[in-house]
Amino acid sequence: MENNKRNHDNDKKRKSGLNNLSRKGVEHGFAVISIMIIVPVFFTAVLLLTVLPRPEISEIEKRELAKMPEFTFESYFSGEYTADVAEHYDDTVPFRDDLKNVGYNFKSIFGIHNEDEVKVVGKPSVVTKPDNDKDETSESSKHDTSENSKNETQQSSSGDVSENRPEESSAETSDTSVQESTEPEEVTVENGIIVVKSNGHYRALELFGGGSGSTYAQALNDFHKDLGDSVKIYSMVAPLASEYYTPSSYSDFNASQRESIESIKSKLDKDIVSIDITDVLGQHKDEDIYFRTDHHWTPLGAYYAAEAFAKTAGLDFKDLSTYKKNDMEGFVGTMYGFTGDANLNNDPELFSYYTPDNVDKCMTYYYTTDFQYTGKGRFFNGVGDIRSAYLTFMGGDEQIVKVKTNIKNGKKLLIVKDSYGNAIPGYLFGSYEEIYVVDMRYFGLNLVDFVKQNNVTDMLFTMVSYSAVGGNADNLENLRTQAKGKKIVDEGLKDEE
Amino acid sequence: MVFSSLFFLYVFLPCCLIFYYLCKTIEKKNIVLIVSSLVFYAWGEPIWVCLLVLSAFVNWFASQFIGKLKKESKRKIVAAAAIIFDIGILVVFKYSGFIVENINAVTGLGLPVPQIVMPIGISFFTFQAISYIMDCLWGTVKPQKKYLNFLLYLSLFPQLVAGPIVRYSVIDDEITNRKIRAVDISEGAKRAILGIAKKVIVANNLYAVVEQFFGTDITNLSFCGTWYAVILYSLYVYFDFSGYSDIAIGLGRMFGFHFNENFNYPFICKTISEFWQRWHISLSSFFRDYLFYVPIFGKPRKYFNLFLVWFCTGMWHGASWNFIFWGLYFGIFIFIETKIGKKRLKKWNKVWTHIYSKIIIVIGFGIFYFTDLSQLGRFFMNISGISMITDGNAFADVLTRDSLLNNLYLIIFAIIVSMPVLQKVKYFFYKWGNNTVYAVGQIGGVLICCALLVISSILLVDNTNNPFLYFRF
Repeated sequence: MENNKRNHDNDKKRKSGLNNLSRKGVEHGFAVISIMIIVPVFFTAVLLLTVLPRPEISEIEKRELAKMPEFTFESYFSGEYTADVAEHYDDTVPFRDDLKNVGYNFKSIFGIHNEDEVKVVGKPSVVTKPDNDKDETSESSKHDTSENSKNETQQSSSGDVSENRPEESSAETSDTSVQESTEPEEVTVENGIIVVKSNGHYRALELFGGGSGSTYAQALNDFHKDLGDSVKIYSMVAPLASEYYTPSSYSDFNASQRESIESIKSKLDKDIVSIDITDVLGQHKDEDIYFRTDHHWTPLGAYYAAEAFAKTAGLDFKDLSTYKKNDMEGFVGTMYGFTGDANLNNDPELFSYYTPDNVDKCMTYYYTTDFQYTGKGRFFNGVGDIRSAYLTFMGGDEQIVKVKTNIKNGKKLLIVKDSYGNAIPGYLFGSYEEIYVVDMRYFGLNLVDFVKQNNVTDMLFTMVSYSAVGGNADNLENLRTQAKGKKIVDEGLKDEE
Repeated sequence: MVFSSLFFLYVFLPCCLIFYYLCKTIEKKNIVLIVSSLVFYAWGEPIWVCLLVLSAFVNWFASQFIGKLKKESKRKIVAAAAIIFDIGILVVFKYSGFIVENINAVTGLGLPVPQIVMPIGISFFTFQAISYIMDCLWGTVKPQKKYLNFLLYLSLFPQLVAGPIVRYSVIDDEITNRKIRAVDISEGAKRAILGIAKKVIVANNLYAVVEQFFGTDITNLSFCGTWYAVILYSLYVYFDFSGYSDIAIGLGRMFGFHFNENFNYPFICKTISEFWQRWHISLSSFFRDYLFYVPIFGKPRKYFNLFLVWFCTGMWHGASWNFIFWGLYFGIFIFIETKIGKKRLKKWNKVWTHIYSKIIIVIGFGIFYFTDLSQLGRFFMNISGISMITDGNAFADVLTRDSLLNNLYLIIFAIIVSMPVLQKVKYFFYKWGNNTVYAVGQIGGVLICCALLVISSILLVDNTNNPFLYFRF
């Protein structure tokens, strides 16, 4: 008690001491103190950013970070060199992904969170209802792309990341001339992303801009013409998750994928078999058929699709119960990187995939996109980082893959797919003798030659609506016409037992 | 190089500060600043840095004559030559494309449109040079004898690329004779951090929202959505621009320079005239002093000059018609306000004048945003509600509602900060209380600034965000 009193008196003295000083002296004193606080904070940051090791890749963004540029006079005088040096520094901040997580969490305090909240990312615009002519459906989205480059330069930090879809960029790099010549509706179907909360969990949904998919249908018809009746062609276009989970209040911003898929079907030759999985998946929408935090369907969703395909094609198909279920916990997929929504990162999900019982009797052969053999291995691979769990299937997209199963039925399947298709082949190990997997965006040979040479019997085009209706489909025509007559040698044959 | 980048904050700035404070004499400090400024400028403009150096030389050289020549007419000729040079640079680099495009549109000549990329900050340093030449001519400042000192004035990196347009008279003495007190460093640093936070925490995130609405086709945008986006855009421009000015003023102060304020809480204005006394003050005062009061074609003509000033103000913001409309739009309201008269305006109900001025300002920023005139027309249809009648656009939409909920706290925070609340808090700690209250304010302020610096830096990490889905491991 006495002590307290003495302390109090001391405090009083000190305070009154401070108050007795001239304001100018106090100002100077506290300026010095301020400097002594700010300078160490600032220079500690400078030091840490200088000495700490810099990352080379970003797991969240799934990309290689900017490299230090090499100096040339040309690049210097164009301003490119200095810009790249600064970009390298800014891009490779130590603990980049962790700092981004902190930043996204900070941003989540900007708004109100409630039970049925919806966060909007990108630039959704109202999709025009297709009254009679579907080809006009994504006029609004078309405008989107033309604005992209402008906005990126204007405001790189806008957090608006939805434009940088690799599907688009790959289509751009593959052949721009084709893109220019396509109908306006085929430019893009991207219409922003919404993150919705339902049943206590967050789910990211890519809204669909619409489109008729005529480029896709035309390409398949042309394949059919070139290949004749010796090869059976199947088309299986999967809807995006937004077809099932978009809140009704956002229906104006989300075009019907069923209509686009049906429009494709109506344009396909009669001999091409269309597998309509919109309803199939719809029946299972209460199960985890789409990831909440990733732009893909789940392996379970792919199972129902594969089942529908097998039924239509009259294939042997095993029930899911015969598969071994493999679980990976804590999966947060690509949509976190796209939306920067901390809620997704803080609400991870289970990544389950299914391996068939004959998996050990099958061998997977890997090739470059020009069919240079790179080696054999497993179809289902372990992944280093849980965030890249979808790479379990063949480890990615930019390659050609051949699976030799233990089935001897003379049936050979070639799958033309985007990354949605990666989850399909694993369910067909009991249905085909050989399965070739070709990515529609990364294939350097002539696909008609390739199909003929490898005596393919069935061809399955399977991808998400986004690819079939959007710019990716432009590349299908290239696959048919490019590199005609080029010799195709399968070096992997030597490696087969 | 932009202020709001990690490279500037944690590489360029510390290097510059270390060298600056290691140098003892003012001459050496000035050399450090000149070299830093040229490096800073050349970082973005490796070739046009020569233009900056040349422009500084021409204007300095002209000023020497203006200082020495006795005959008024000769002095005027030299000054005119220098100003023609300065405006010539602007015309060539900023407006040539625009001019040729318009000539082509009117005459159908089809002249080749020059593809000149405008050097950064050209509008700012050119105007500084013009103000200097005019001040020399009028004798309000003495011509700077040393070229390097003048180059320092013109190229000083804190204000080089985004203003404020610092008058030579403001830092004339400080170029050769300045004392850097501890208060300058601490206040300067805090001011600069505040500016960075305004830009990175508030402006960038507001812009992301604006782009969701305006960055795409606005044909179907609802009435409320249009108002919402344009209000946020107005706030964005304020935070972006005044944030940059804060950084400039703060950094300048850390080097011992005291620049004038460029913004004075513009949104608390009651009239448009008042708005322009509070918004981008260095620009509006430039036009007031060097254009409005200057007799052109013989005698000063008040209303002609008024519209000339607003035409130029608009045009200064960019080589596009919407900017010219934007300037003239304000000119019209200022014309109306002068006709009504200040006294009568003062008597009007404050609530109404606030509402009137905010509506005019916010719509003005819509004109400022849409460089595409057809989109601008659409904007007017939407914001006036006409498109609800003619095209059946919605009154409100779900996107606006959710966006507002997603960003409500940010928007409220932005509105509060755009009012002189912080100023009042500071004033309380500084003037109202005793030294203890002052001490609490100081320590609290510096800790908040440190936190803002850390948060801003973390948010800046996301600047190069560019997710790619199919990374090949």
